[in-house]
This record gives sequence, C-alpha cells and structure tokens, in this order.
Amino acid sequence: MVYEFRYLAPKSKAKLCAMLLEHAQDGKLLAGGTDLLPNIRNGVFRLKYVIDLKQLPGAASLKYSQQDGLILGPAVTINDVLRNRTARRLYPVLCDCAHELASHQIRNRATVAGNVANASPCSDMAPALLCLGATAVIRSATGQRTIPFTQFFAGVKKTVMLPGEFLEHIIIPPAASPAAGRYLKLKRIAGHDLGIVGVLGTLQDGKRRFAVSSAAPTPVLVENVAAGDDESTVVKKVLAAVSPISDVRSSKEYREHMIGVFVQRLLQEVQ
Amino acid sequence: MFDTVKTSDLSHVGKNGHREDTIEKLTGEAMYVSDMLLPGMLHAQLKKSPHARAKIVKIDYSKAAALPGVRAIVTGDELDYRLGLYVVDKRILARGEVRHFGEAVVAVAADTAEQARAAVDAIEVEYEVLPPVLHHMDALKDDAPLVHPELGSYDYMAAAFTPKPGTNIANHTKLRKGDVDKAFAESEWIIEREYSCPSVQHVPMETHVAIVQWGKGDKVNIWSSAQSPFTVRNLFCHAFGLSHSQVRVQVPYVGGGFGGKAGIGIEPLCAVLSRKAGGRPVKFQASREEEFSLLPCRSALTYRIKTGVSATGKIVAQHMTMYWDSGAYADYAVNVTRASGFSASGPYEIPNAWLDAYTIYTNKPYGTAYRGFGHVEFHWAVERHMELVAQAIGMDPFVFRLKNALRPGSLTMTGEEITEHTGNVIKCLEEAAKAICYGNLTDEEKARQKKTGWKIGKGVAALQKAPAMPPFTATSVVLKMNEDGSVLVNLALTDYGQGTYTSVRQIVAERLGFPLEKIKVAFESDTDRDPYDWQTVASKGLLLSGNAAILAAEDLIKNAYAVAGEILHCNVCDLGHDGDKIFIKHHPKKSVSFASMAVGHALPNGNGVGGPLIGVGRYIAQGLSNLNKEDGQGNPAIDWTYGAHGIIVEVCEETGEFHVLKIASVYDVGRAIHPEIVRGQAIGGMLQGLGTAICEGYIYDQQGRLLNPSFTDNKIPTAKDLPLEIECFVVETPQVDGPYGARGVGEHSMISVAPALGNAIQKATGAEIMHMPMRFEDVWRALRHKDPIDNWITKSPIGSCRSAPEARPNG
Repeated sequence: MVYEFRYLAPKSKAKLCAMLLEHAQDGKLLAGGTDLLPNIRNGVFRLKYVIDLKQLPGAASLKYSQQDGLILGPAVTINDVLRNRTARRLYPVLCDCAHELASHQIRNRATVAGNVANASPCSDMAPALLCLGATAVIRSATGQRTIPFTQFFAGVKKTVMLPGEFLEHIIIPPAASPAAGRYLKLKRIAGHDLGIVGVLGTLQDGKRRFAVSSAAPTPVLVENVAAGDDESTVVKKVLAAVSPISDVRSSKEYREHMIGVFVQRLLQEVQ
Repeated sequence: MFDTVKTSDLSHVGKNGHREDTIEKLTGEAMYVSDMLLPGMLHAQLKKSPHARAKIVKIDYSKAAALPGVRAIVTGDELDYRLGLYVVDKRILARGEVRHFGEAVVAVAADTAEQARAAVDAIEVEYEVLPPVLHHMDALKDDAPLVHPELGSYDYMAAAFTPKPGTNIANHTKLRKGDVDKAFAESEWIIEREYSCPSVQHVPMETHVAIVQWGKGDKVNIWSSAQSPFTVRNLFCHAFGLSHSQVRVQVPYVGGGFGGKAGIGIEPLCAVLSRKAGGRPVKFQASREEEFSLLPCRSALTYRIKTGVSATGKIVAQHMTMYWDSGAYADYAVNVTRASGFSASGPYEIPNAWLDAYTIYTNKPYGTAYRGFGHVEFHWAVERHMELVAQAIGMDPFVFRLKNALRPGSLTMTGEEITEHTGNVIKCLEEAAKAICYGNLTDEEKARQKKTGWKIGKGVAALQKAPAMPPFTATSVVLKMNEDGSVLVNLALTDYGQGTYTSVRQIVAERLGFPLEKIKVAFESDTDRDPYDWQTVASKGLLLSGNAAILAAEDLIKNAYAVAGEILHCNVCDLGHDGDKIFIKHHPKKSVSFASMAVGHALPNGNGVGGPLIGVGRYIAQGLSNLNKEDGQGNPAIDWTYGAHGIIVEVCEETGEFHVLKIASVYDVGRAIHPEIVRGQAIGGMLQGLGTAICEGYIYDQQGRLLNPSFTDNKIPTAKDLPLEIECFVVETPQVDGPYGARGVGEHSMISVAPALGNAIQKATGAEIMHMPMRFEDVWRALRHKDPIDNWITKSPIGSCRSAPEARPNG
C-alpha cells in the first residue's frame, strides 16, 4: 500500500537515537529497504516515519585492521562486502554467504546490518557472523553496548535491541588464518529464493562450527562439535540444536534430512 | 496456401528477418497501457473477499464515500450483468455471495491510487462465512455445497457444452469410440493410474491493466492489455446491451498474456466505475498479488487413465476420466475441458476409447486458458502413463511410444484420419531421442556419474495440440499502400510477444515481392481501424492470419495491376512487377511505379486513374465441425502440431535434488517462417513448462485462503534455471492449408516438458512421480515410497491423489 509518511535522514548518531526513541511505535529504521519497502507496500507496516541511517557519517564504511578485524557500518551493502578485496581474502566464508543472498540487484541495496537486524530465521548473513564470532555494537542515546551475535537474536523477527537502539557496527574479529568454509543453501529455483534450509560449515584453527538458517525461530550456531566426533554424532548435535517446522516451502521431515545431508557434505568438503 | 517452393528459393520466408518491436521494447519506448495516462483519469482499487465462500450481509461505504478524491463506488448489487464466452457465469463484482478468496466485492475510483486505497480500507463488509467446497473431488459428492445453485439459469454455448444444474459440474464432455468393454476383455494387460497437477499462475510481466472511458451517448472507449480486442468488444457489448458501433477497443503493446488475457477481463469493472464517475476515464492495474487470486489461473487436474494393452504392446483400449477444477467460475475452463477431451490420449492411436471430462466448480480462484489449453496438464498424465505402462509390460518406453504413435492412416479419438500431411510425431520422437543419445550413457556421462555420485537418466515425451476454437473461426488482414509505395498491414490479431507480426510481415513481403523494409505491421490493434480477428489464442494466429495476409497481398497486387493496365494501355495478363513498379513483361521499360499509383494516379493531363490501393484478405477455418456431444466424434482440428522433448537429468538419490543437463525439443512446424522466432518460442515455453514441473503451484489452507499469493513462495524459474544444454529442432512436414506450409507452435513448447523430466528422473532413480510439481522433496519422498505431501489443495483426505496399484494381469 502506498501512503504518505515522513522521511527522516538524521546526520548524527545522537539525532538518530533521539528519533528512534520518539518514533519507537510509529517509525522504522531504513537501511537498504529491501525488507522494509515491500512490507510498507503490502500494508504490513503503517508507518508515520521512516528513518534513514545512510546519512550518518561513516554509515557505509567497511574497514579492516589487524587489531580489530573487519568493521562494517550499518549501510554496508552485501555487494560492498563482495567487492571488498580484504573481505574476499580474509573472510571467504562471509562472502560465500553473501553470494547466496537474493539476486545481484537486491545485493546492491540490501545491507549486512539490515539482514541481521531484521532477524529473519532465513537470514543468509547470520550464519557467517555466528561462525566467525562476530559482535554487534549497539548504540542508543545513552551509550553503546557490545554483544556477540550468539546473543543477538531473540526470536522470529526479534533481536535483543531495545526501542531507541540501532546496530551501529558489526565487528568480525581478526584471525591468524581465514576460516575455511562453505554455505549450502537449499532453494526451490536456482536463482533468487529464500532458503528452505541453509547450513554453513567452517573450520578454523582446527575447530569446526556449523550455523543453520531457516530451521529454527532464529539462526542457530552449533559449537559443540569435537574434533573426534564421527559424522553421525555431528549430525545429531546439529539436529539437536534446531527445530524446523513444516510450511509451504518444505516439510519438517525433509528439512531435518537435508540439514543432516548438508552437514555430511560439509564435513567432507571443508578441510 | 501451401507453396512447394523450397525455402532456399524464397526471399523472406524461412529467414531470420529483423524483429521490429525489439528495439522499442528494449529501450522502453514501446507504449503499454501501464504507461498510459489520460486527462482527468481516475484510479480504481478493489475491496476483495478474505473468504472462500461467504454471504455478503452488508456493505457500508459511507465513510469511504466521504473521503477526499473519491469519485465513484460500485457494488455488485447495482450491476445486473453477467460475463462469459462459453458459460455466462461471472459477474463484474460479487453479488450476494463471494465464491473465492480474492474475489472483487466493491470497486472504488478516486483521483489518485492512494485515495482509492484509503477508501477501500474504509469500506466495511459484513460477511456470513459459509463452508466452502475446496477440492474438486469433494465438490462431486452428493452433499457438497453448490458453488452456483442457479447454474440452470445461465446462458451457455449449447452446441459444445453440457452443464449439470443442481451439481457442481459446469460441463461434462464425453467421447466414445469403438467397444471399450470388449477390448479390455481381450487385453493382455490392464494398467490404471491417477495423475494430478495443481493450479498455477501465468505471470505475465505486465499485470492486467485497462483504462475505460464511458463517454456521452454511451460511447465507450477501452484501452486494455488484452489478447483479443474484438472478443473484448463483443462480450462487453453483450453484457451491457450496447451496439458494437458504440464500443472501441484499443490494444497497444502487451507485456505478455499466455492465455490469461484472452476473453474479457477487468474492462467491465473500469467501465462501470467510469459511468458512475460521470464519464471520466478509469484505470485499474492489478498488483502482482491480485494476479494470483483476483485474476484467473490455470485449472488443477486429476486424471485417471486405465489402459488395455495387447500381447504385442499395442494399446487396444483406454478409459479416461478427467476432473478439471475450474474454481469459482468456469466460463473458460469448460472449453479447456472440451479441447483436452478430444486430445486426451496424446499423439497415440486408441482404437477403443471412453472418456468423461468434467469441469468442476469449487470455491477457489478460477481457471482460464493458459499456454497449451489443458495440454500441459493432461500430457503430464498421458506421457507419465505411457512410461509406466511400458515399464509394467516390460517394454522400452520409447519403443512403446513409437509402436502406438499416430501415423498416416491412424484414426484420432474423434475419428479424424491422419494423413501424410498432418505432421510426423514419430520423426519428432526419433530426433529428440537421438539428440540425447537415448537408451544409454555416453562415456562422458558415465564419468560424470562416477565423479558426482548423482544418477543420470534420460527420458522422452511426445506432444500434440490442435487449436481449440470454434469450427468457423475467421480472420482478416487489410493492406494499405502508402504514398511512397510502402505498405501498412492492419490486423487485429495481437502480437503480445510471440513474434507473429514479424512472420506476417515476412509473408506479406514474400507474396508482394517487396523488400521487407517496405512493409510495416501496425503494432497497436484497434477495433475501429482494424479488420476482424476472433482471438489471439490457440496457436492459430500464424495459420489463419498468415493465410489472410497472403490473400490480402494477392488482392493488393491484383488491384494495382488493374490500374497499371489502364495506365500502360495493356492487358493485365501481360504485366509483371518488382518492389518498385509494374511493367509490361515484353516491354519492360514501359512501367508505372507503385508510388505513383498508391493513392490514385494522375495522368499527364491531370486526369485521375485508380484510387488508393488496398488489399483485403479473409480466411475462415475449413472443414471443421462441432463434436457430437454424445460420442465426441467430429473434426475439431484445423491442424495438429506435434513435437517431442528429450531430457537428460542428474539426480541425487540421497536428497532428491536434480539438475537438467540437457533438453532437446523438436516440433513439426510445417515450415519455420522465422527460425529464430521458433527457437524463441521453443526455449521460452520450455522454461515456462520447466517452472511448472519443478516448483510452481497454488497452495491453500483449509479455509481456502491462498498461502502463496506472491513471488515469495510462488516461485517461477529464471534464466539461472535453464538446462545446461538446449537444442531445438524443427521437422517440416508441410501443412497443406498453412501459409507456406506453416503451422502454429506458440503453445507447444510448454507441453510435455514435465513428463519428459519425470520420465528421466524415473529412469535415473526409479522414482515414480504422479503429481506435479516435482520439487526436490517430492523426488526424495517418491524414492523412499513416502506419501506425497499433498499440500496443494487443503488437507482433505480425498484431496490426496494417490496412484492406483501396480499393473495387474487381466482377469
């Protein structure tokens, strides 16, 4: 549905935080807009205010330092990441997930921060951030707090961010050697689609991690895989961490089966 | 109309001439109704039903009427009109009762679309929800609610259809040939199975859109994204009791139709709003979501086939029952049922046949024509069935097909004799099989299989389709010569992407002997300017309009010769011509240019000769008859286009995932007028068919609400889903009455893609799939003999389309 709303584009974080607080009920934050705008059009939201964060200084900054790692501003798009040489060299897993997200046109608009702040169970960026040990820097009018992404998601379309807060940065820690990994996403068509299930498997400094999308109310990280676990033990551990449902995209039974198959494939492929 | 001239001896026909609309389309210059704005134009929005079936208790639009910019609000109660071509069963807006989720209940026109939306939100509709009938098999039960209790009072085309008042059956088509009981008794094997496919959406790039102005003196102007301007006009005039001279329909560029824009659509809705708003033009453009539930879809089908086979593998008897789910309105679905009924065996000879095909009303979005007109759906059943029958009797499915394929001398199910000119399905099958190395794996494929662990399989499927149209379908083409001797072609067949205008242009140039550059086909169609064409449907456009174009060209030349004879003082029989002039054959220097005669010739003294040069061509289908309603016998087909696909697939048995490695498609097009356009149709239709094969389909909840009413969960394939390798061929068995021997191929490329894939998957893995689509999960379930997830239409137990048991020996 098209209707009139006020578009705000604050140029400072303080102003943004004040606006977010003031319009906690009748406003929404705009980054890439690839989720917000369809929701406005479809009448899911009836907003009076749309608050764009892209005018903030450094919103689109994508920086790397050996000390801090990769730091993404809230307006960094998926294609910004894919085009960044450092990201490709040091965080191939991040780029693998990014590449699976929607279509090229949407990746031009969609942001990494939006993809996780939206907290969809089928977020494609969440698995990478979970496996890479990324943290969310959350800002409000009163200050800043940092939490790991393992504690960021609170449920379907819910995060731990409070009214008046926004995701200021995503920090992916530096690593002595890049995590190896691959994201397997089951789709209905070869092109742009939401995942039926997605499994990222990584191996870094001898430690295996799995992150699963579209299989629980939130993206899920599985860290309790031990070096000596055999294939079926690993599959069991991953399945124990998820709770897929049956819906129009797939049955629960098939989702569980495919998660198991993907985990097995990743155990073989990611060495 | 067939010329025995070889393609190599023709100047334009058979060549890949420039397609005039491409640059305009690619640059965005082409004007669509979506682009159009008229002075004073209002925008319409609709209040739609959230229920599958409910009584409309009360509509309160007082708040909406008071909102700014609102110029007209219309409800069904004030509209006593019914619309329809074959069964006149649909109103412009629901009246008294809503019959499907998404049905239009109230319409609003306002100065802006936003104001119209605000008004729609302010309208309050009180419903009394009634139990819907959702699955078409449920709708046949004695105690099923009736979707149309007044069916007995509706008008319908009695020569072709048989509604059953007091039931949900909108039409019962029968076909009886030979002695089925006797033939079954003599059969060595009897195999019975059931197949199904869900409703799907056409998904034209341009959604349905129309602008209508109901002017002074009831003069109505319609601009519409429609396939058939004259049928829009005709049905519109019937509905409103207007003279055809009062209504003008203009169709500019159309962004795809695929059958969904055949017949009449949203034009009457805009018209009643315009009338109520005092004659201001009203535009309505459907949203993508409205395409899925307000506008029609393709009917679902359940098809049960029982086949008796002789000891030598010849089909001797076949009993067929088709259950077509028309949804809430059956106007078009009844004709899909009829056309599928007479073709229901596919391109195979069935000496003894018994068919019942039912069109069944349910409380769901309604079905209409969709590329293939039922043939995509029932060929899924027929060509999977041929595979399973062959398997059951221990014969190679390809050999079984060849053994039973139609050939010269065969009788179709309606008793039509196949001749050597009809087309050659056997050759199509052989070419398709050859292109995929059917029957064994190449060394390369074996190596690939070893490397990936995925199983490679190959399958073929054949197809046939004749145009489904009234037996007296006619068209016309008018050529007008311009002052410079170039020629304007006017016809009301529309080109909504299929490329027919390019082919007509080639045909006109060929017959006139003019360079292609001198011929322009006017892209916009206009009932006030163009001569009549029935509809742009059925893959009949090239054949009928191509013939009319040949006749128009001959008429133009004849008229020009008459004038030239007068000017040159010679016998017309002594004249010849080239692209510029007419000359006396034995005195070639004595000539007169076309340009000097085009709008009337002036002699040196100023006297006038001739007059504007015009050529008229009319063509009407010949030799067709209505089918006998009791036994289905008769002659329904102006031509049969045959074809076949071969598919190579690799399947992961562990997960059901698969990739189509190659598809080879072959069609007997008679003569390819423009080979690149044939190839475009072949690939476009193939991918559309692949989409319905791998993922498309409507999913409803138990209240009849559509659960996937958008692209989020109603996916269609993209270029990324194209098979790794695509080959397209034509076989050219000339159609004696086709223009330069050509026959249509617009719909055929979508037919039988799904069964070819199903057959290949079965060959690779043994998975027996009887239900479309074949999602990875469906393949996985079939491999594990798990019940298919029947989430297409409710969870009704009878909705589960289970396949019958294995083949059993007779007796």
